[in-house]
Amino acid sequence: MRKKLLLLTTVLLGALLLSACGGAVRGTTWPGLAADETTAYLADLSLVYGVNLKDGSEAWRFSDPNDNKAQFYAPPVITPDGLLIVGSAGGKHTLYALNPRDLITNGDFKNPAIEWTFTGAGAGWVASPLIVENKLFAPNADGTLYVFDLNDGQTQKQPIATVELGGRLWAQPATDGERIYVTSLDHSVYAVDIATYAIVWQADIAAAIPGSPALGPDGKLYVGSLASQLEQFDPQTGNHQSVLDAEYWLWSTPILDGDTLYFGDLKGNFYAYDAASGNLNWSIQPDGAITANAILQNDHLLLATESGNLYAIGKDGKTLWFETVGGKIYTTPVTAGDLILVAPLETDFYLAALDSNGRQVWTFPAKK
Amino acid sequence: MWNLFVSIFINILLWIYNLIGQNFGVAIILFTILIRIITWPLNAQQMKGAKAMQDLQNDKEWQAIQKKYAKDREKLAQEQMRIYREKGINPFGSCLPTLIQFPILIALYQSIIRALAATPLDLLKLSQSINPNFLDVAKLIPLNSKFLWMNLGQPEPYYILAIIVAATTYIQSKLTLPPATNPNDQSAAMGQSMAITMPLMLGWFALTFPSGLAVYFITSNLLGIVQYAAQGKANWSNLLPKSMRKE
Repeated sequence: MRKKLLLLTTVLLGALLLSACGGAVRGTTWPGLAADETTAYLADLSLVYGVNLKDGSEAWRFSDPNDNKAQFYAPPVITPDGLLIVGSAGGKHTLYALNPRDLITNGDFKNPAIEWTFTGAGAGWVASPLIVENKLFAPNADGTLYVFDLNDGQTQKQPIATVELGGRLWAQPATDGERIYVTSLDHSVYAVDIATYAIVWQADIAAAIPGSPALGPDGKLYVGSLASQLEQFDPQTGNHQSVLDAEYWLWSTPILDGDTLYFGDLKGNFYAYDAASGNLNWSIQPDGAITANAILQNDHLLLATESGNLYAIGKDGKTLWFETVGGKIYTTPVTAGDLILVAPLETDFYLAALDSNGRQVWTFPAKK
Repeated sequence: MWNLFVSIFINILLWIYNLIGQNFGVAIILFTILIRIITWPLNAQQMKGAKAMQDLQNDKEWQAIQKKYAKDREKLAQEQMRIYREKGINPFGSCLPTLIQFPILIALYQSIIRALAATPLDLLKLSQSINPNFLDVAKLIPLNSKFLWMNLGQPEPYYILAIIVAATTYIQSKLTLPPATNPNDQSAAMGQSMAITMPLMLGWFALTFPSGLAVYFITSNLLGIVQYAAQGKANWSNLLPKSMRKE
């Protein structure tokens, strides 16, 4: 009898463990982060937060009362007229335009008004959309690039164009003003004409591309892939060649400073590649996988790693300082004024603000 | 340690996936067969243990002891252990193999989620779970998650799999239940109860979790039925209504 009880208990425990594995709990994936002069915007699974940069207090929060399975982790983007565009990867796969200047008090919280929504996507929004003048180019995990007119006044938004690309589109596109460059997990890079929405070229690089493309100082397009190679494209033709072998998968988007591209791989290597000479200037291995893009701050680079550290790295590859933020950092940090914003996972806070020397200014929610 | 366990699952699953032409559903089925083959001795031990426990319930000496020490639980427990020793019965022999199924189940669940990589974090974890010297997974991503009418990374929306999972679990449970000859046999009563609760629970899992897990349940159940039948231990009469069973 006792062993049967043990068996039954284990069965129920197993059920509980499996149940705990499902659902949109915090930590299912890393959050999306953006900021303007006054507010940080954190897309953190079931909620999107507006956080006051001044003191880290909550300005507002958003969840869709009509879609309790909504999941937000695509980094939000801010339109020129101050709307916040954020897409849900779960539930009804809605793309929202929120108005943080129009707050509605709801009990203890303030919620931004919804200016418009789009509910016609076939899958989730993992990528940030790209704003070009009055148009929004929004890649979806259903393989379609949706194009919206931001000024058409619709509250139930309908795309002015849909471009069927293929695969899962996880990364924000890049543009040179003539074309939109989109990467896909189906191993392809696409160039789409910005005016006609025609696919100008498609190139297969035989490995999935989770990160965004980057336009280099030489006018070439650079893409990192899970083939562990930095690929260089001719934006006119789509002809491409591998210019650098990394140690492992490339996820982060190369960032540009002068002739140099900086990017990291999932083994934790951080590379400085000279696009003009085609040479690797240097590479270092701080600690932990690098999924976040490096960011430029004054005369140095800021780099976050999976191990929860934020590094300030000189352009010669020397570490100037590092700060342990805590948890695991996968989200690209954002600079806002004098603050560096970091959104780690597996910590008791969702967002930390550091000063330009890496000292913590505040956390959100505030530490107890 | 646990991550290593899940990593082994993922590498084998993806190796099979690559070998058979990139069909994840068939990969899960073949992987389940592999698991069943590996755990075959454990399942055989479970059947042996269950049969030994059943025989004990009908043992005259044990029934006499139960009657004699009905009011002295300590002495009854001592006598029970003595009988176990004398008859070579392992009291955990029938339930240990079932317990081993749970780590396998949870590891498989995590393997499916990571392999299909619906979120960036899943894909990152996949990158940290694979051995690039063993298999060039970068070229396999994204995995083909379509199998028949299902997306293996999502729960099946038509309840078809949940019904099949519940039905096959029920059939398997009933086939393995020996006929209860002793009306006071508590283990038989518990077995009957489990034959109802397990199908409901696994059916609920199939409704809630990715359909790849339901494919595992169904394959595992069918293989279990075949194993019992092949060993001549399937009690087919248990599937009939009580009135139609030969006593």
